[in-house]
Amino acid sequence: MGIEVKNLTKTFGEKKVLDNISFKVEDGEILALVGFSGSGKSTVLKLISNLVEKDEGEIITSEGDIAFVFQYSALFDSLTVYDNIAFALHERKDLKKNFTEKEISKIVKEKLELVGLKGIENLYPSELSGGMQKRVSFARAIVTEPEVILYDEPTAGLDPIASTLIEDYILRLRNETKATSIVVTHQMSTIKRTADKVIMLYDGKIVFRGTPDELENSDNEYTKQFINASLEGPMKILA
Amino acid sequence: MELYKQVLRQTVTYRLFTSILANVNDFSETLGNITICGIKTIKAIFKGEMSSKELIEQCERFGISSLPITLSIVGMTTVIIVSQIAQEMVKQGGGNMVGALVSILMVRELGVIMSGFAIISMIGSSLASEIATMRVTEQIDALRTLKVNPFGYLFAPRVLAGMIMMPPVVIISSFIGVLMGALTSNLVSGLSYRAFFDSLWLGIFAKDLFICIAKAFCFGGAIALISCSFGYHAKGGAKGVGIATTGAVVWSFVAIVIIDMIFAIGFFF
Ligand SMILES: Nc1ncnc2c1ncn2[C@@H]1O[C@H](COP(=O)(O)OP(=O)(O)O)[C@@H](O)[C@H]1O
Ligand SMILES: [Mg+2]
Repeated sequence: MGIEVKNLTKTFGEKKVLDNISFKVEDGEILALVGFSGSGKSTVLKLISNLVEKDEGEIITSEGDIAFVFQYSALFDSLTVYDNIAFALHERKDLKKNFTEKEISKIVKEKLELVGLKGIENLYPSELSGGMQKRVSFARAIVTEPEVILYDEPTAGLDPIASTLIEDYILRLRNETKATSIVVTHQMSTIKRTADKVIMLYDGKIVFRGTPDELENSDNEYTKQFINASLEGPMKILA
Repeated sequence: MELYKQVLRQTVTYRLFTSILANVNDFSETLGNITICGIKTIKAIFKGEMSSKELIEQCERFGISSLPITLSIVGMTTVIIVSQIAQEMVKQGGGNMVGALVSILMVRELGVIMSGFAIISMIGSSLASEIATMRVTEQIDALRTLKVNPFGYLFAPRVLAGMIMMPPVVIISSFIGVLMGALTSNLVSGLSYRAFFDSLWLGIFAKDLFICIAKAFCFGGAIALISCSFGYHAKGGAKGVGIATTGAVVWSFVAIVIIDMIFAIGFFF
């Protein structure tokens, strides 16, 4: 089952971060959510995963698990890679009695291989490169076989080759898990390589929706400004 | 009118008043946060969401890693006090009561309050900064998206460890305090160890021991809960971690003095 967001509104203090937003992601689709910093992209993901409470509107999504891949990986730095990935299986109340350590160890190995890593189970997150941390956080997020995966800027701060690798794993995870995904990103390469659909946010509203091709070639003043990274245009950049 | 308002805003009275109001607001918000955290922690324990592996680890941290500091602070405080009074007491013919004085001091107040201060500065601050760092690096959000209750995984083992480990820490440090008292009074006033230990139990009743342990139990729980709660509500980056740690230490200090006062009024009047 996909994700459907209807008339979603969220205010932080005085600031209306999301103003009556509606969109739909079909089952198994990957949606890219773009927009400048502070436009409320992370807030959308946090609302869908229930980390933040909505003011108004409706979010309809699967009953199953919703995985969240955080912008700065958010790995538990006091735990090894193994314990990070096995975390939900060890500590989640409804799961922890269902697996033997042997089964868990097999699952951890499997998930690590899925993100192209091997033999790093006993290392700590601080001993890994940024790209590797990202991939370990992918593995941790998918360990409970989620039906929805939310990625918050998965390629930000990575070099182009590491970015390409991550983009490949996003596609691969979708193909393996059949999960519905939302990818928050600024990077054109990530949008073009991974997304089926694109939504652009500005000032709490959706200012563009379409395919990656349409994003690149449309006459929309907002998308033109975004593609050209221009200071001129309808969007006021405060950064 | 606008001008009038502007002038008003610059007056000292106005500023003082708004700053007091802001502080009262902060105060009630913090108190509310701590209370809610406490309730959620108790709920998590009863729902069986506590991590037992974490509990053992936290007990070790609370009880064992804190001992060197706690023992030296309690021990040295006793040396300081006894070296001031033992000589005088012996001179006045009260030498046979020095042991009783030290043990009353230890069991009733000094052992538990000094251990409390040591635990706050060592464990409370590290609990607060640890959890605040987890908050600002989104590790607590990660816990929640993995459907693990932060109150069961982070709070419950830490608060329970505080309650379980504080009494033994206080007992051990009081014991060391008494030994240091004996040693000091012997060195400064030539009082025999025999005379010291003969009077040791004179001033102590079962009730005193019981209250001492109950106090330690409350102190340990309060320090852990307050520190975790400050960490949990940290905001922003590195600065937020610093603010949370300071808040945790200050509030813990005030809290244990207040708890101590409640015990003093409730039991010794
Ligand atoms: N917990 C919060 N409390 C207050 N303001 C917040 C909070 N989270 C986000 N905001 C504000 O909401 C706006 C959008 O934030 P965010 O969703 O993180 O943007 P993006 O991910 O697009 O950069 C920002 O102005 C930010 O300051
Ligand atoms: Mg963001």
